[in-house]
Order: sequence, then structure tokens, then C-alpha cells
Amino acid sequence: MIKFALKNMAVKKVQCILIVVSIVISTSIAVLAYNVSSQVSDGITSNAGYYSVIIGPAGSKTQLAMNTMYFSDEPLGTIPYSVAMNLMQDGTRVNTVIPFAMADNYNGSKVVGTTSLYLKDKSIQCGEMMNDSSTMQAVVGYNVAKNNGLSIGDIIYTSHSATSLDTHKKGITVCGILNQSYSSFDNVVFTQVRTLWEMHEHEDEEEGNSHEATVCAVIVNTKNPAYAMQIVNEYNGKSFTDAHGDAYSTQAIEPMDAIREVLNDTDDTKYIVFVLCGIILLMNIIVISIITLLNMYHSSKEISLMRLIGISMKKINLLYLIQNGIIGIVSIVLAFGVSRLCMGMMNDYVSSMGVVLNMGKVYSSEIFILFAVFLISVIPTLIWTLVMSKRDAMEG
Amino acid sequence: MIEIKGVKKQFQNETVIEYKDMVFEDGKSYMLLGASGCGKSTLLNIIAGILSPTKGNVVIDGENMQEKSQPQRDKLRIKQIGYIFQDFKLINEMSVIDNINILRLEGINTKDAPELLNKLGILEKKKSKIKHLSGGQKQRVAIARALVKKPQIILADEPTGNLNFTIGEQVIKELVDVSRGKTLIAVTHDDRLAKYFDCVVDMNEMTSGMQDLVREGGLSND
Repeated sequence: MIKFALKNMAVKKVQCILIVVSIVISTSIAVLAYNVSSQVSDGITSNAGYYSVIIGPAGSKTQLAMNTMYFSDEPLGTIPYSVAMNLMQDGTRVNTVIPFAMADNYNGSKVVGTTSLYLKDKSIQCGEMMNDSSTMQAVVGYNVAKNNGLSIGDIIYTSHSATSLDTHKKGITVCGILNQSYSSFDNVVFTQVRTLWEMHEHEDEEEGNSHEATVCAVIVNTKNPAYAMQIVNEYNGKSFTDAHGDAYSTQAIEPMDAIREVLNDTDDTKYIVFVLCGIILLMNIIVISIITLLNMYHSSKEISLMRLIGISMKKINLLYLIQNGIIGIVSIVLAFGVSRLCMGMMNDYVSSMGVVLNMGKVYSSEIFILFAVFLISVIPTLIWTLVMSKRDAMEG
Repeated sequence: MIEIKGVKKQFQNETVIEYKDMVFEDGKSYMLLGASGCGKSTLLNIIAGILSPTKGNVVIDGENMQEKSQPQRDKLRIKQIGYIFQDFKLINEMSVIDNINILRLEGINTKDAPELLNKLGILEKKKSKIKHLSGGQKQRVAIARALVKKPQIILADEPTGNLNFTIGEQVIKELVDVSRGKTLIAVTHDDRLAKYFDCVVDMNEMTSGMQDLVREGGLSND
């Protein structure tokens, strides 16, 4: 039966290929749109609850949150490291204080100066975590290591920006490589914040005049939410001048608030994508049903012929179900493959938003879409053969 | 044995054909001769179970076809009846052998197809698509498909209708030859072919008694 179905399909190969192509295009668009919008939304929310307060320079709180948590966009500026030092001494309210500085670039990957606390939830694939009391060590993200062929002990030279050819003279030794996390951490180089200061020749100032050292943000985890609110109130809109006369103005945010604003936008986008997915699916249903029905209509003569020579409607039904089932299965497998291929191509774009698309991530709704497409490709066959079975075989 | 008992067929356009009782004996070849529209093809379709009579019964080997369901009649047709259609009923885009192997869908063994095609002189065409064959070759494929399942009853509707007399005569000779020992009922309007059949039934005189219509040895050609 399957052999004959395949032969019958080979006879109509142009028709079959056109049907498969039309199903693949529409289905892959629906699956891709759903998956990407979901992963972008999930990726943004996954990190939002990690921190209580982020203190940084005055400006856009979204930019501060996105830069500190997802490495997207540019830092708003700098604040004195003394802010972090003061909070480190506040053992009553504060659990952890993590300095965050983003300065350099390594072959297009951003370099972040921080402490090992920032990476405490990340697992190391090989090597070890950087030593906070040392300098010139780097833990690199999975994609950075993969794309640059890095291994433990390699020395990397960073530059001021992605476009700059002028690298720092001092190299940083790779001491660890992170496991793949399908997040923006895969694309970043992490080093001690002191390393960045050394690279920018702040080491002398750091030793003698700590107020000269700056960071882009200070991430704080408090002992309870009330302390977080207190710290936000203390540092939000605070202006001060350091010993060298440099003026600073800070803002303090609760990351969930800032992310909630972003999420409101992405939720709208996601909603629009879902509506579009629905429209595409509806078009899928119409297009695939029409194509399948036309296909079956053209096969009416063949069905009548088979009935006249004595092939039962049961066998004819089964034959066409197998044919259209094969077309459906081939189409959904190809559609899934095409959607993943497109995701791979889109990764560069969405990673700039701090999200790395996981091509292996399959949502249950995607399975539903693919299953629906398969059903749509076989149900018209059942309807048509049912109609044909009610007709006189001589009518064909 | 095929018995036609009081069969009447009324079509939607209200054309009514009434058949006199007839008996087709096992192992004999019959030629149904008559003018267009006299009901020759309709009778074949009723015997094959493709059409149901409005009234009356067709009994094949003691089994009343009208007591059977359509799937049961289809099963009987695929197992016991080889039907050669006037317009061949072949799938043009498929090869000769695939047109025969289509019967495998119903579990029919078609391993004798090459031998049969050889006997009919078209073995070398077995992989050719039907659309590339001549009318005579298509007719032979239709005959091969009808006979490959070794049916007890062979029905042929105008098997020479699309062929010139010389090729048509050759096809009839081959058909009668390969159908030897089986019940063959062939419809034709060309009485020159009657000599190849055991019996000739003049369908124009259906109101007459069966015995009057059948002349052993066939009609003369003149």
C-alpha cells in the first residue's frame, strides 16, 4: 500500500512538491513567529527576579536594567566604586553587593568586569571560576569560547570597542568557560572588575584612592524587600561630588519594575505575534484544505477508475490517507527544520536584545501547530473520499 | 453460471431497459450484439455489480447479487470478475505494470502479469506509461489487468470499439484464446467477430426468449 502510494505520488511529483512547499512556508512562519516571541519574552523574564536593587548613573532605568542584566545597549555612564564599598559594609540590610563594569570588547563580545558572585548561578564547563582577589583572569561565555576557539590558559587581548583594532597591551588569561545557558551570558567575557581598572591604568588609583575607581552599576541583594525599598529611596536621585571634584548623580531601581515596563511592551508584541500566528494558521487551514481538496478533485477520475475495477472504498481511503499523510509528515518535518534554520539566522539579531535563541527549545504550542497542520492535510482527504463513496462509481 | 432474472433498469433520465431472463453458462464465450443504447453495456455493469438493477436479480453461481452489499459486490468483482472497459479505465500517468499491480491493493497476486503481457505481445512495454501507448496496446493492457487475477467471469465492453477491424479482430482472437475455459461475455456491435464466440446474443431482441436468441457457433459474417 505504502509502495503504491509512493509510486502514485511520484507520478504527481510536481503537484506534491508544490503542496509541500506551500505547507512548509506557511507552517514554518507560524512556528517561527511563536517560538521566537516566546523565547524572547521568556529570556527577558528569566533574569529579572535575581536582584533586589541596581544602582547606576541617572538616566533611563530600562537602559540601566537591560545593560546590567542582559548586556544590551551601552552603559549610562559610571558611578564611584565607593557606592559599592559603602553598601558592602551595610551588613544589616545587604546580603551581597556586586560591582558591574562594562568597558572593553573581545572580537565583538562585550567584556564585563564584576566578581564571581555575578556568575554564581552559572555552571562552568571547564576550568574554574575567576579568583576575586586576583586579576587578569577571564571566564568566557560558551559562544565566545566556541566562536574564537578558546581553551583554558589562552590569553585574550581586548580592545576599547568592537570596531577598534587597537588592543590593550595586557592580556587576560582564560581560566574558565561557562556551560551553554542559551542566554546573553553565552556571548560575554567576564573578568574581575579590577582587571578592567588595570587595563585602563587605574591600578594605582585603586590602591591609593579608591574613589577614583568607577563602575557602571552596583547590583545589590538585600535581606528583605523593605530594605530594597529603603536603598532605592536613598540612592535614587542622589547627587554628590567626589574628592577630585567629579560630580555624580545616581538612580536606584528595582529590576522587576524596570523589566515590567519592558515586558508590557513585549507582551503587546507577543500578543500581536500570537494574533498573526492565528491569522497565518487560519490561512494555513484554508490554503491547505483548498490544495488538498483540489488534489482530491483531480484524483476523482482515478478514484472512480479504481472503484470500477473493484478496489474497495476502504482501500482507496487508506491509499489517499497514506499519500496525504506522507505529504503532511514531510511538510511538518521540513517546516520545523526551516523554522530552526531561520532561528539560527535570527540569533545574531536577537542576541543584541540579550536573548540567545535555543534552537532545541520546543514549545507545546508548536507541537500543536504542527499537529494541526498534519490534521488539516488529511481531514479534507477523508471528507472527499467520503463524498466519493456516496457517489456512483460511474460518475467519475 | 450467471442468471439474469426479470432484470429491469430505470435511469434518472427515465430510460427503462427490461431484460428477458438469460443464462450464461460456465466456460462458454458469449457475444452480445446489438445497436447502441439497447442495454448491452448496462447489462455488463449490472452483472459486474457496478450498477444495481431497479428490479429483478442477477445470480452468480447461486448467489443473488442483489442480496449483497456494495462492498460485497466490489469484493466479488475484484476476486471473480475480470472487466475490460470500453475506454480501458487505465491510469495514463502510470506504467503498464503499475496499472496491473494496482490490484495488489486488494491482495490480488499479479506475479503472472509478465507472462500475460508476453502472450499479448506487449511485454516490452511493461514500463511504458499508458499515455505513450497506442489504442491496441492499451486494450491489451486492459485485457491483461482483467485476466491476471484468473477470474472465472470475463466481461468485455466493446473491446474493439477503439480499434480498426484488423487490430480489433486480433485483440478478440487473443481475448478468446486467453479466456478459454472461463465465462466470457463480450459486447460488440461488429457482427464480423461473432465467429470467434461460442454463442451470440442479439440484444435487439431482448423481449424474445433466450433460447431463440442464442445460436450455437455464432452468426455468419454476411
